[in-house]
Amino acid sequence: MSLLFRNRSIEKGASNRGRLPWWRRLIMVPVHHAQQAIASLGELWRNPFASFMTMAVLGLSLTLPSSLYVLVKNTTSIADNWQEASEVTLFLRKDLQQSEVDTLKTQTELSEGVESVRLIPKEQGLEEFKKESGFGETLDYLSSNPLPDVLVVIPAESHRSPQRAEELLNRLEKQREVAYAKMDLEWLNRLQGILNLIEDILGALAVVLCLSVVLIVGNTIRLNILSKRDEIMVMKLVGATNAFIQRPFLYTGVWYGIIGGLVAWLATALLIWWVESAVVDLTELYETPFQLNGLTLGELLIIWLVAVGLGLAGSYLAVRRHIQSIEPE
Amino acid sequence: MIRFEQVSKTYRGGHQALSHVDFHVEPGEMAFLTGHSGAGKSTLLKLISLMERPTAGRVLINGHDLRKIKPSQVPYVRRDIGMIFQDHRLLMDKTVFDNVALPLIIEGYSVQEARKRVVAALEKVGIADKVKHYPKMLSGGEQQRVGIARAIVTKPPLLLADEPTGNLDPKLSMEIIRLFEEFNKVGVAVLIATHDLGLIARLRYRTLTLKDGRMINDGLEDSEL
Repeated sequence: MSLLFRNRSIEKGASNRGRLPWWRRLIMVPVHHAQQAIASLGELWRNPFASFMTMAVLGLSLTLPSSLYVLVKNTTSIADNWQEASEVTLFLRKDLQQSEVDTLKTQTELSEGVESVRLIPKEQGLEEFKKESGFGETLDYLSSNPLPDVLVVIPAESHRSPQRAEELLNRLEKQREVAYAKMDLEWLNRLQGILNLIEDILGALAVVLCLSVVLIVGNTIRLNILSKRDEIMVMKLVGATNAFIQRPFLYTGVWYGIIGGLVAWLATALLIWWVESAVVDLTELYETPFQLNGLTLGELLIIWLVAVGLGLAGSYLAVRRHIQSIEPE
Repeated sequence: MIRFEQVSKTYRGGHQALSHVDFHVEPGEMAFLTGHSGAGKSTLLKLISLMERPTAGRVLINGHDLRKIKPSQVPYVRRDIGMIFQDHRLLMDKTVFDNVALPLIIEGYSVQEARKRVVAALEKVGIADKVKHYPKMLSGGEQQRVGIARAIVTKPPLLLADEPTGNLDPKLSMEIIRLFEEFNKVGVAVLIATHDLGLIARLRYRTLTLKDGRMINDGLEDSEL
């Protein structure tokens, strides 16, 4: 390609390249890119300490958000497991006939958002209360059973979130036969609130850390560029475009991301392994077997892509500003 | 080939490096550009290679007005000009082969495709046996030859040389000039900036003389004698 001298290559007796068919030139594009990618990996190898520091910073910065993410994910799954939390208890009026109670139970079973309904007759309730409260015999002195019939409603899957469950509660409470309804909503709401808060903090933290990673990578690449000032000038003198000069630096950023992503995996796995034994000890006290969920393959892939993206973004930032400003003197 | 029309260049800060310079170098011509240091030789070459832009007037290469060249097109203009520097401007951590192949790689040649041309260029400047050496292992004259090989490997129609013999003894200098003569014989236009008046005196080429930014002698008459 010659701007000033049209037909230059023909005039000079067609170069080798001019005779290459278009499809071979097309094949050469990825080959050239691969060559440059490998070349910049070699460049990293020549200065392993500084490169590794940047990669470690990149990786460790991603470790914190991804570990927190694992925490949130597991807490959410625990919260989902506690169905009882979304159990709605309906205390019925005492003046109801047995038939009315049965009709109400059937009605409730058929109403929207209800998975199942269990009746606890007042006699059974009293028995249980006797057994569990420790008042035992004392209760025999009561002249009549003070307890009402109780319907325990388990909401359907779609109605288990605190908000939907509360809607259900309000709906059921309006029925004539129901004295009042109760649900351990406060507790669930608080847990959900804490989870939301952690998620928000996680998001903000991730953004701040990602931003700092971009700046750190950008700074490393900037130093790289400045240390190659003379080389860049020479390349510009013999006709290299900015794009050509930029490419190896961009590849360097990508390599930072690839290896930084691996560091993040390793560190996160290590952290989870460290915490896991403590979590298992804790859950054994509650006699509920619990398995800490690590990162899935998809999530690992996302972390990796984010790392590569950050590396590329950082190097792009540095490259844009600095390659243009270096001009041969 | 190179035409300057009333070209002036004032640097920021007010230093006037060139004022109203007019000249024309024909295609296939070889000319010297001389003058004391600070007379504007380097500035003149920089205007041709687009390292600087003129404050007034216009520079044309092969009839193309360089004012119309956008910054993004500058690299492509430089690919048409072989440039040689006093300080060689070689990449010290790359082999002679990599240095000479650089312009070809930039144009998109693969290393295999470039090999034949690099070897041919090194043979032309007489250091084909140094292909795997690093510039530091070479003498000043040899380094300059590497620089020349790099400038000619793409077979540009125009060669610019800024003090190519600056650090060399007279014998080596003459060898380098003979090299330029060979390229000139196959039709390459050559413009050599030098303050080595002794060297110019022994040769009978057109000499452009600058003094304080003005062209005081076009030397056309000399060469026609």
